[in-house]
Amino acid sequence: MNKQHILVVEDEKNIRSFLKTVLTSNGYAVLTAETGEEAVTLLSSHCPDLVLLDLGLPDTDGQVFIQAVRRWSRVPIVVVSARTHERDKVLALDRGADDYITKPFGTPELLARVRTALRHAEQRAAGSTPSRYRCQGLQVDCDKRQVLLDGVPVHLTQNEYKIVSLLARYAGKVLTYDQIIQHVWGPNAAGDNRILRVNMANIRRKLEGSPAQPKYLFTEIGVGYRMAESEL
Amino acid sequence: MGSGFKERLHRLFYFSLSDTLVSLGILLAVSALCLLLQRFDRQNNFVSMLFVLAVFLIARITHGYFYGIAASLISVLTVNFLFTYPYFRFNFTLAGYPIAIVTMLVVSITTSALTTQAKRSAQARLEADREKTRSNLLRAVSHDLRTPLTSILGVSSALLEHDASISREERLALLRDVHDDASWLIRMVENLLTVTRMDRSGEEAVVKTAEAGEEILQSAAEKFRKRFPAWNLTVSVPQALLMIPMDAILIEQVLMNLMENAVFHASGADCLTVQLASSNRFAVFTVEDNGAGFDPALLPKLFTGGLAASAAADDRRRHMGIGLTVCSAIVRAHGGAMGAENLPGGGARVYFTLPLEED
Repeated sequence: MNKQHILVVEDEKNIRSFLKTVLTSNGYAVLTAETGEEAVTLLSSHCPDLVLLDLGLPDTDGQVFIQAVRRWSRVPIVVVSARTHERDKVLALDRGADDYITKPFGTPELLARVRTALRHAEQRAAGSTPSRYRCQGLQVDCDKRQVLLDGVPVHLTQNEYKIVSLLARYAGKVLTYDQIIQHVWGPNAAGDNRILRVNMANIRRKLEGSPAQPKYLFTEIGVGYRMAESEL
Repeated sequence: MGSGFKERLHRLFYFSLSDTLVSLGILLAVSALCLLLQRFDRQNNFVSMLFVLAVFLIARITHGYFYGIAASLISVLTVNFLFTYPYFRFNFTLAGYPIAIVTMLVVSITTSALTTQAKRSAQARLEADREKTRSNLLRAVSHDLRTPLTSILGVSSALLEHDASISREERLALLRDVHDDASWLIRMVENLLTVTRMDRSGEEAVVKTAEAGEEILQSAAEKFRKRFPAWNLTVSVPQALLMIPMDAILIEQVLMNLMENAVFHASGADCLTVQLASSNRFAVFTVEDNGAGFDPALLPKLFTGGLAASAAADDRRRHMGIGLTVCSAIVRAHGGAMGAENLPGGGARVYFTLPLEED
């Protein structure tokens, strides 16, 4: 079987070699780049399956890199960033990065993000966005516009359903507040997070047994929301 | 040099619409009052007293010297025009007139100077306070960083140099120590970054947006469960959605610190309850453990930085102090309060409040 290639763009030598070791020992082939410029060259010559990008690059700003790459490539980009830089993460995601991981991270978390991003890219390449979602007791069927919890239909308002089905379609991937708001309320509603918070609170009360211990809907503080991976 | 001069000039001629309006308002009010009182007392003895009072108030309320001086000049002219013979005409030949002008000017300049000085010394006290907290923290932290770094350096050089003579079990044990030390360092550094995040937004203030309280609790709980799967964590939130203005990253850090403190410092604890409730326009976050509780002697010192600074405390306890000092600084910057107590049945409770959004 062909190994999947991952391009690691990271200027810190130690972190680069740590990432390389972890990814290599989990069956990926790893390319490394120290600068954005080098990364662009490798990207066009080697066509890797995924890019792991540190946002704090010395030469090109990581954000500029994402924007430049998105003009000609849909390669999944997973951004690595510090906890307190939530605005950078949001910006990167809104510019087309697929997911992010916060420093410091453990290897299981890293591998999970990489796997999710790769799977989403494959699904996209095959032209099949999943129309059905299932995780434990929760099922979302986008064809029938139906949400079932333990087999029982859940009554959601129009907007609540739009949010749930959007998150379900991108299950495992974080969606920023603005991405969700624009999808549900249109581009003019951007920036009004309150209405989204209220809708999410209502959805949690309908879908989660305990709103404080969610099984399906997860909050990414300062960034957005993420739905648990689909089992389908 | 140039900028200092500009600054001084700026202080002298500081212009603001509100100050202008306030000054004019006070002068008009005093003039009206004098015209009114004139009906009862034709002697006009009160007029100059009232105008001195007006000048005093204006110099006290407004910023800089400009408004006080302007007000004293206007006052002198007004008194001349309205309240001294000949009425409704200027007459600068009155005896003692220069003395009146000088008196008014002296009142205004002295008041302005005293006020500015008082404001500046309050500012300096605040600055000194903040500086003291910061240097206490810095001293405690740099001392604390040395211990785990020494151990990491030692272990790694042992593994590098004596690889052959170290058994597999020993190597794993050493690596676990490195892992623990590094996790400890990360927690410490995250707290320091939190402090700088508050500094950067300047003036003790934080950038607040309305957040759903339950989401913050949820996210902190999620991280805690990942890090400490053996702990029994219960989270409870009210049925009603609480919107709380906050810097979510900072408040999550507060919750993480409180929960981790229970893990590292509450001896015998294995259960943690985290709660969100509302009471009287405030959101109340509570973290309870079932451990041995706080040492009663430490309770009053927990949030003041005293614990972090006390040289007698051992490293672990001091680290708890740093975490709590950071927590209480964050909560205070949000306009909330923080407290701790021992539970009657054993265990510790730490809580903090944040003002709820006003409708």
